[in-house]
Amino acid sequence: MEPATTKPVATKRERYYRQSLGAVYGRIKQSRVLMVGAGGIGCELLKNLVLTGFAEVHIVDLDTIDLSNLNRQFLFRHEHIKKSKALVAKESAGKFNPHVKLEAHHANIKDPQFNIDWFASFQLVFNALDNIDARRHVNKMCLAANVPLIESGTTGFNGQVQVIIKGKSECYDCNTKETPKTFPVCTIRSTPSQPIHCIVWAKSYLFTEVFGTSEDEVPEFDHTEDSENAAEIENLRKEAHALKEIRQSMGSDDFPRKIFEKVFTDDIHRLRNMEDMWKMRQKPTALDFETVSKSNGGEVGDSVAKRDQDTWNLAENFTVFCDSLRRLSRRLQQAQGGEANGVSHVLSFDKDDDDTLDFVASSANIRSIIFGIEPRSKFDIKQMAGNIIPAIATTNAMTASLCVLQAFKIMRGDLNKAKMVFLERSGARVVNSESLRPPKPDCPVCGIMSSRLVVDPLRATLNDLVQGILKSDLGYGDEFSINNEVGTLYDPDLEDNLSKKFSELGVGADSFLTIIDDDEENPRVNLSLSISEKSLPEDSKPVVLSQSLDIPRKRTVDTSQAVEHTNGTTEPPAAPGKRKRAGSSSLDEPGIEGQKVAKRGKVQDTDQEDDLILVDGPSQGAIVIDD
Amino acid sequence: MTARPLTPPPLQGPTAKEKKYDRQLRLWAASGQQALEDAHVLLLNGGSPGVVGVETLKNLILPGIGSYTIVDGNVVAEKDLGINFFLTDHSLGKSRADETCKYLTELNPDVQGYPVQKSLRDFLGSAIPSDAPDRLSSLTNPNALDKYSLVLFVASKQNYPLLRLVSSYCAAKALPLFYLHSLGLFSHFSTQLPDPFPIVDTHPDPTSTQDLRLLDPWPELQAFAKSKTENLNTLSNHDHGHVPYLLLLLRFLTDWRESHDGNPPSEYREKKEFKSLVESKARTDNPEGGEENFDEAAAAVLKSLNKPSLPSGLRQVLEDPSSKQLQQDSANFWLIANAIQKFHQKHGSLPLPGALPDMKAQSQDYIQLQNIYKAKSRRDIEEVTNSLRSTEADLKRQTPVEAKEIESFCKGAAFVKLIKGQPLPVYAPNAKAPPTSLQNILDDEDSLLPIFLAFQAYDHWLHENSNTTPQTDPSAPFSSSSSSSSEEAKPPLEALKQSATQTIDLNAAGDGPQINADDIMPRIEPILAEFVRAAGAELHNISALTGGMVAQEVIKVLTKQYIPIDNTCVFDGIASKSAVFRL
Ligand SMILES: [Zn+2]
Repeated sequence: MEPATTKPVATKRERYYRQSLGAVYGRIKQSRVLMVGAGGIGCELLKNLVLTGFAEVHIVDLDTIDLSNLNRQFLFRHEHIKKSKALVAKESAGKFNPHVKLEAHHANIKDPQFNIDWFASFQLVFNALDNIDARRHVNKMCLAANVPLIESGTTGFNGQVQVIIKGKSECYDCNTKETPKTFPVCTIRSTPSQPIHCIVWAKSYLFTEVFGTSEDEVPEFDHTEDSENAAEIENLRKEAHALKEIRQSMGSDDFPRKIFEKVFTDDIHRLRNMEDMWKMRQKPTALDFETVSKSNGGEVGDSVAKRDQDTWNLAENFTVFCDSLRRLSRRLQQAQGGEANGVSHVLSFDKDDDDTLDFVASSANIRSIIFGIEPRSKFDIKQMAGNIIPAIATTNAMTASLCVLQAFKIMRGDLNKAKMVFLERSGARVVNSESLRPPKPDCPVCGIMSSRLVVDPLRATLNDLVQGILKSDLGYGDEFSINNEVGTLYDPDLEDNLSKKFSELGVGADSFLTIIDDDEENPRVNLSLSISEKSLPEDSKPVVLSQSLDIPRKRTVDTSQAVEHTNGTTEPPAAPGKRKRAGSSSLDEPGIEGQKVAKRGKVQDTDQEDDLILVDGPSQGAIVIDD
Repeated sequence: MTARPLTPPPLQGPTAKEKKYDRQLRLWAASGQQALEDAHVLLLNGGSPGVVGVETLKNLILPGIGSYTIVDGNVVAEKDLGINFFLTDHSLGKSRADETCKYLTELNPDVQGYPVQKSLRDFLGSAIPSDAPDRLSSLTNPNALDKYSLVLFVASKQNYPLLRLVSSYCAAKALPLFYLHSLGLFSHFSTQLPDPFPIVDTHPDPTSTQDLRLLDPWPELQAFAKSKTENLNTLSNHDHGHVPYLLLLLRFLTDWRESHDGNPPSEYREKKEFKSLVESKARTDNPEGGEENFDEAAAAVLKSLNKPSLPSGLRQVLEDPSSKQLQQDSANFWLIANAIQKFHQKHGSLPLPGALPDMKAQSQDYIQLQNIYKAKSRRDIEEVTNSLRSTEADLKRQTPVEAKEIESFCKGAAFVKLIKGQPLPVYAPNAKAPPTSLQNILDDEDSLLPIFLAFQAYDHWLHENSNTTPQTDPSAPFSSSSSSSSEEAKPPLEALKQSATQTIDLNAAGDGPQINADDIMPRIEPILAEFVRAAGAELHNISALTGGMVAQEVIKVLTKQYIPIDNTCVFDGIASKSAVFRL
């Protein structure tokens, strides 16, 4: 590599973008920006930022490189598999462009080191993330630090870019995100009727009980109907317990047989005996281990497992089931054996881990056969079990470039010209943009006031905030509460904490307090205070606001706008599995390229992976292209 | 005991590859991937700086096209380094084809890259008579492009004669051709697809593909509906709330016909009435206060109660002469189209796709319903297959069309699309702006068509000035002969405006609507001004975006899946908008 080139040369190579960008180029050259996520969009974005002349780019990503990234994340090669995305991206992009300062953090963006001050040190933040949780976090931090955020996501051929500027445009949370799909426990455990029910059973129940940490709480399970089926829920609990007993015999020759007979013979017999359950449904058929094993056509399990596009018959599923069960048992035991003692190892389902996928695919299919449901190919099951979002280079390339075009507007100060941009598979538009919409007044994240609260950790008590700031300075009445992520610290009926210091209450630097005004007449919007610790002079109050605040009052919310229609067409019939259920718990964060999908004129709030789960239903949340 | 296979499956074999491509196989399946891997893409990158072509290739190499060739006679200059990601400081002074090829190939070891350090003129053939630019014989080697599956032509100074040559060659050989521009904040590409270019697997929206035949039920379906709804009123609440909505609709349709001279609800008003009728039959005295299956039935009325009709895309296919006059060497596509045409003639409907939407139902009923649809679908496909086999015999064809191909055509028949490729809409000395385009600009003040006209004017200007600049430095389109290292000369705005006016006037002189160039020029001028400011420079970011768009269309064309852009797309980097036109 050549040493840093002399200035005239650097100027020469800048010619093209100087010519094209004009005045804004000067600002770009001085800028310091943050890119959260170095995956599909991130790789493209980093290339574009570097070749547009951005001076300093920080990259944060917790992820490591996987084989399935290589079809699009072009800064990574085969030899980088299992290495840090952030570090390799920095290395690869830097190699081609020695003139830009790149800094990489192989870390979680939620780590405390990335506090508000740190966020505030950037002119601009790009979200190139793959999960809702991190997106929401960055959204919150950027609002608190008052830094413009360019949020992006892709799904297959579709992409979306959204510019988020505090007080000027909708934030990420202005539109509620639909919670991922859940199923009633009884549907999964007792009365499946679709392939997805059996897949969820295999992945979230059977696999977890046999190889994972068996916890009562499985995110895909919806417990709202439990009370109606108390007796059956109790039975199911016993069933799970018995399965756990069998786990002790892992590694023995008859382990597959024991598992098989438990879940495909005995449990099914028990279900069949519950006559009430089958009045309206077809009874499941219990399988006999001996019979099924004799029907085996002679092909070995790992050979069948390679034919992932074929739908396997019962015998084939059986041989994959036994084979993968042995493979997984061996792995778990080897891991256990390596440890001194006491540490218990678990395996977790990973769609790209063939052993786990083979087990889930074959047991899901065997269960489907038992219940008269159509089996699926391993390829399909991988998508359904793994919440796979299709991802390609072209969409990422376009989406990342659209992010940079929006960055130009922000760098130029043309916030009014910033857009929400949508990318579609086809039709007359392909790329379309619309003006940003103003923040939603009732948004729980940005429809609030936020400020920094400087606290002297040695002296400050909660009362210093209640009396010294909220009541005297800001004019709060008696009806309000102070909350943090743990719970309520203060309200008119909870005064015990007033004399306690912030540290005693666990309120430290970079944590947040939310003040909720409960005034009946005209309540203020919520006030979010982010804590900075600093020893303050003796003559100063022990708690001070970093700025004077004029807190607006809550507006009444017009709920009539809450319903958004799709393209003016009649709604397709709702699929039974898709109905939202109250109080549904959420799925774990799927490893996907992006949740939000574009729909002209509105943000589609449906989670895309949701649609992919239900492959045999009308994909209601899918993007309808009306051209 | 089972015997082990003789040779153990390779560890790093198809499985690793499948894993690498997993996320895209979800979009175009193994068949699409195979088509990509069989393809050889040719990039004619004579222009400067040509980043848009390289970025396009990047997006084709990652998903695994078989091979690519870059033809580029330029040498890497300092200014290339700041804009082309696939060059390093060490590339300076070396062949740009070699260097970009070297770094691009690192992206994917499965892909073969071939650099050709030749000017386009040398590559295509030296003697191009100016009076007969489209004569194929003027290629030194008339088969020079035969091994390629698709050609990308990046706009360059030497455009016109070479582009015309490549365009007519590609048309004659049914080779898809893309023509690309990226300049400042604007870009454009046009496609020249073969005629005909049929697409079977268009990936329609899954909700639109359901063909339920509610107005035309076959006996098995009718019988099942009858058996499940005969005693509708006496069913228990549970059963009543679980009758699949399709069967409810079939039942109420039977009732409706009885009171309407045997006719189903046809116009909107009747359908509304029918919908109310369905809604009124739901039980509301249950704990839920309603029934989901009835909600589903009511919601489906407007959408699902349509007489089967022949979609225009398919009609075009079936009426195409190639489908009617089969030859021994006709493509499989036409053979199947012919068999489907016969099926449609006989039954007045297409083969049933057989897919069923999800619905509230007992699983047993749902499965039975599914089986009824599938069985009918299978029978229909069988009938098409039989008629096709007898045609094959008549034509004495050697290799039968694969059953899989027939099946996928039958299942997607309603969405089959035929594109009649047409010549590239590009500059020619006497070219007219597309007939309807000028009116379009006047009618729609947001139209992005001025971008296309601006690029046309730009090409025109380049062509007019191609003889006054030395041929030895094709990489610098605006350099005057004297200044080699200093700032390149900018295209004069006035000259570009003149070119644009000429194009418009030429068109306005025809039979079309009377259009005054003065009305349109104000829309084109700002774009020309941006061209002047950019002075021939590409913005990496715009070329990256355009490279994404072009590659996406290339993938559609190579896989023959999804409907590609036909035939022109422009992008406006100021408004972040694109538009597609058929010109
Ligand atoms: Zn908000």
